Amino acid sequence: MAETARSTTHSKEAVPISLTETETQKSQGLWMEAFKRLRRNRMALVGLGIISVIVFCALFAEVVAPYPYDAQIRKDNNAIPAWLPTFFPTVKPKGVEGGYATVSDRYLLGADALGRDLFSRIIHGTRVSLAVALVGPLTSLLIGIILGSLAGFYGGWVDNLIMRIVDLMYAFPALLLIILMMAFFRSSFSQSEPGTLAFALNKVDSAFGGMLFIFIGIGIASWENMARLARGQTLSVKVRDFVLAAESIGMKKRAILMRHVMPNILGPLIVAETLAIPAYISTEAFLSFIGLGVNPPTPSWGSMIAVGAQGIRSFPNQAIFPALALALTMFAFNFLGDGLRDALDPRMRGVD
Amino acid sequence: MSLKRRFYLLFVLVLMMGLVAPAVNGTVMAQDPKTLTLAFGAGDIPTIDPSTATDTTSVQVTLMTFFPLVRSNEENPSENFPGLAESWSLSEDGMVWTFKIRSNIPWVKWDGSAVVEVKDANGATMMVTAKDVEYGAKRLIDPRTASDYAYVPVDSLKLKGAGEFNSFAAPEGKDFTDPAVLEELNKLRDAVGIKAVDDTTLQVETTEKIGFALGIFGMWNWVALPQAVIEEFGDLWTEPGNAVSYGPFVVSEWKHDESMTLVKNPFWAGIENSPAPAIDSITFKFLDTSPAFSEYEAGTMDMVGVPLSELDRVKADPAMSKELFIGPNFCTYYYGFNVTKAPFDDARVRRAFSMAVDRQDIVDNVTKGGQIPARWFSRPGLAAAPTPEDSPELGIGFDVEGAKKELQAYLDEKGMTIDQLPPITLMMNQVEGHIKIGEAIQAMWKENLGVDVQLSAQEWGVFLDTLNQDPPQVWRLGWCLDYADADNFLKGVFRSTSGNNHTMWKNAEYDKIVDEAGAETDNAKRLEMYRQAEELLVKTDAAIIPIYWYTTVSVTKPNVVRTYSLSGHEYYEKWDKK
Amino acid sequence: MAAYIGRRIIGMIVVLFAVSVVTFLLMHAIPGGPFDSEKKLPPEIIDNLKEKYNLDAPLIEQYTNYIGGIVIPHIERGKITPSQQSDYLIIIDLGNQTYFKWINFGPTYKSKTRSVNDIFREQFPVSAQLGVWALLIALCIGLPLGTLAALNRNKPIDYMAMGVAITGVSVPVIVLGPILIWMFGVNLRLFPVTGWGTPANVVMPAFALGFASSALIARLTRASLLEVLSEDYIRTARAKGLGERVVITIHALKNSLIPVVTVIGPLFAALVTGTFVTETIFGIPGMGRYFVTSITNRDYPVIMGTVLLYAMLLVIANVLVDITYAWLDPRIRYT
Repeated sequence: MAETARSTTHSKEAVPISLTETETQKSQGLWMEAFKRLRRNRMALVGLGIISVIVFCALFAEVVAPYPYDAQIRKDNNAIPAWLPTFFPTVKPKGVEGGYATVSDRYLLGADALGRDLFSRIIHGTRVSLAVALVGPLTSLLIGIILGSLAGFYGGWVDNLIMRIVDLMYAFPALLLIILMMAFFRSSFSQSEPGTLAFALNKVDSAFGGMLFIFIGIGIASWENMARLARGQTLSVKVRDFVLAAESIGMKKRAILMRHVMPNILGPLIVAETLAIPAYISTEAFLSFIGLGVNPPTPSWGSMIAVGAQGIRSFPNQAIFPALALALTMFAFNFLGDGLRDALDPRMRGVD
Repeated sequence: MSLKRRFYLLFVLVLMMGLVAPAVNGTVMAQDPKTLTLAFGAGDIPTIDPSTATDTTSVQVTLMTFFPLVRSNEENPSENFPGLAESWSLSEDGMVWTFKIRSNIPWVKWDGSAVVEVKDANGATMMVTAKDVEYGAKRLIDPRTASDYAYVPVDSLKLKGAGEFNSFAAPEGKDFTDPAVLEELNKLRDAVGIKAVDDTTLQVETTEKIGFALGIFGMWNWVALPQAVIEEFGDLWTEPGNAVSYGPFVVSEWKHDESMTLVKNPFWAGIENSPAPAIDSITFKFLDTSPAFSEYEAGTMDMVGVPLSELDRVKADPAMSKELFIGPNFCTYYYGFNVTKAPFDDARVRRAFSMAVDRQDIVDNVTKGGQIPARWFSRPGLAAAPTPEDSPELGIGFDVEGAKKELQAYLDEKGMTIDQLPPITLMMNQVEGHIKIGEAIQAMWKENLGVDVQLSAQEWGVFLDTLNQDPPQVWRLGWCLDYADADNFLKGVFRSTSGNNHTMWKNAEYDKIVDEAGAETDNAKRLEMYRQAEELLVKTDAAIIPIYWYTTVSVTKPNVVRTYSLSGHEYYEKWDKK
Repeated sequence: MAAYIGRRIIGMIVVLFAVSVVTFLLMHAIPGGPFDSEKKLPPEIIDNLKEKYNLDAPLIEQYTNYIGGIVIPHIERGKITPSQQSDYLIIIDLGNQTYFKWINFGPTYKSKTRSVNDIFREQFPVSAQLGVWALLIALCIGLPLGTLAALNRNKPIDYMAMGVAITGVSVPVIVLGPILIWMFGVNLRLFPVTGWGTPANVVMPAFALGFASSALIARLTRASLLEVLSEDYIRTARAKGLGERVVITIHALKNSLIPVVTVIGPLFAALVTGTFVTETIFGIPGMGRYFVTSITNRDYPVIMGTVLLYAMLLVIANVLVDITYAWLDPRIRYT
């Protein structure tokens, strides 16, 4: 999925339609009850647990990782741990016939082509990859929910205009936007004066390997599914009794939108966005593959996978372990997403 | 679902599959012909028109299908053999070249099943003449061709009248189809110093003495071209069926974006250094290095380049290590400084950064392909370029102590500490190999000088644009030969007027040396001049950091008999298969 | 229905126009030009090239020229030259040496002999074939997997099916491709490593591409089927005493396909226009490469051409999706 940047915008995950049956009640009660149901879902809790571990790794990477991510021992380039040939018999350690790999037990999962510890780089890589997993979806959620609910709530020409923009966004050449943003943020490193806003933004951006704004950009370019979903939800919510009641007591349209519609459509949108996270992470790998990835030497799973896959026959560990980290994260987000959906589904109320 | 509906659905499905099933390739390979399957990089070959070819793959094909006036020795590119011209002479003043064009080379074409000779209206075989070469060379310079390489005859060869012809532009609101404009253009065209005196004699007149002119006449774009065919088919004249050519091979099939096949030209009788080909047909597949290497391991390719990530395994593999060959390639990998940006506006800092780079470490642990650590810019092996044997102490190399001393001298004079240096950015295009080298050098500067450098990886187009508009403090580039002479490197890149000089470094003494060396014809004297120029460029002023000289790393199946070209282009007519 | 389709076609034209403007502005905004290269060209030569491709004209004129070349038909007397034949997508002989010529997407700067129309003609069919096969594989894996999972909700089969699906999303083609090549191309030599033209060439790339998309379809099917199974009419059907199998295949599955069909529209457009990674790894002469290389080469007409083709397919696919809705759910009517 999500092989090219343009396709990421269309490979969004499940759009659970039926969450429209949200009933009239205070949203707080709804959320509390949902949380209770979530707590009873074991797989969702496992997912939540894994995500917590990953967040911990991202926050305290310096402590968790045994070595700094950019510490090179160039003589140890492509070193493998001694246990690796047991699981990957095609990898031949030096000493046997045709053996090519340096064995060193200094590295838990091996070292990369510059002799940097793979495990440490995976740990540090959670930073960029988590940022990728959260920033893009949040951006697109924000834009999508505002425009989608406006379109659904007001209808008429507002609806028409917004939906045509949605059509445009489907075919929007995101790659052009990404290159433009990259050119802007990466060439102004040395030009901006300390103390200015540009300098501060650059500092933040470079902490994320120059990918932070790229992913805000991707979010900006991929809100169309969110908008469509939000519009559909709004359409079904606005004819429900509690909205009609609010109208009949003379409540202002804007207040109805903010107080009654928005809270009631948020659940399904969050779920859909959770399920879209894998697509964002794959996009990062794709960007690395075509030479638009994270700024070196910052590690990210996507770039490690893209680089490691080139030599997957000689050193499978360099691609497979970051890919495993990615897979684990995706499992976690999927379980959590599913759990959230079940928890927020009003018809599940009282089932367990 | 009703039964009828189910059948309908099935029918539609079958129909769809029929529509989308790829056509089965029914041709059966004949048994006997000797064939080679080789790889070019991914993506279509941009062109096989000699006048507009610029990249390695395009140039490779044009050199197989057309044949330049002079042919360089692939194992020693600065030595020249006769090519399309069987002999030549130079006038007393050193500015008029007279070439004797071979009279026995026929024009040939692929007729769909075989290579045939091209006949004229009377049924006689058409031969390549000096007029065709005149047309070919002038077409290179013609502004309507808009060839990238027109700058070589204009700027390097100083060909008479070439500059005026090439820079001619139609007046505002008119174009080249306007009769008055066309007349003026033709006048300039006739004034260009290339002239076919008769069918076998070609005269070329330059405005200055050029010591390395033969290297230029050996380029792929100094060839005979078929005027009538080009005028009939326009841009499509190179497509098989339209194209006529005369070199040792003929293009028989061009599957765009997929592959190109060349078959041997049976009418190529063979000349010195270019025999009649032994191989019957060669197919180039357009593949990335990784898939191409997989093809090789699957036994379906005869020779491929080895991807860096597989190199360790290939070197250790009992079979493949014997098939591995590492040969020189005439390119130099270097980092340049912007000498107008602090702290690199001071030669001491530049020298310090250059001396802090352990080239041997990079070659051994990062690039691994037997590259040669570079102490200067012009690749050894080029005519008049210094070699490590004759100049072991020339240039600049790894020296931590020296580097620290230089940097300290600068800091002391400015009264600052290392932490007070302005932020430094090293910029490169985002290609895995360049990034690895950049990361290693970043670490070396940190280890050896204690300086933190920020890396910035840019998309290729953005990177080039930045270099042209406002070069960053340090940047990476490489330079590969156009013609096998040190002039192409030292004057072609770093003369103060060169568009390729992104360092902003200007040195009048350097300009004077490379200008004089270009006009000199004695290679021993030229070598001495280029040594001085190198010393200025990489050490005294240290405008660049030479890093390594390229190699090509390839594996060839044991049943292929081959030569190893150093010029970057293979001479496949010399190859054979057991 | 006819009025509805008419409205959608007008909408499509508006969208394509907007896409063309946005793309045109963006591609001229990014730094770098089509004639930048590692060896910098002298200004005279750049001028010659710009003159040749009309890049020295003001932007607005370049845009109108470009759109004009596509939209405005030319009727001309005189011989058709070989290069015109490749420039125009549609050439109709009106007799008497007069020709009707229409739809010129322009040249490519990178290849000296080809036009954007050549790329459409030769590379698009390759990508389209691969894309359709990949989509079929995705459906063949995804639909049963999703159905199985939904019918066995929260049982081991469910977890296993979803495990397979998530693996599909998690293993990018960048990794799956080389592994497939290694196992089936190099070691077992079952399939050719790269290339195009025989059925054997299709297997590995179509699987690599389809497997990833199958995960999406499986997840959607599961979610949607679960919804439908709790709807009133399913309960009614069950209450009527219909067999479980009939209930599921006739009533539930068909209705649960709506969200699946919704994503198939854009997915179809993305797959048939080709995918860069798959085409690069498996050496397939498709069009996907051009979506990326046209941008890195700043090959303006190719950027415009590929984006417009994609946009057009996308809009058409979405119209088809809407029509399919009506078939899947008779309550939906278009007027």
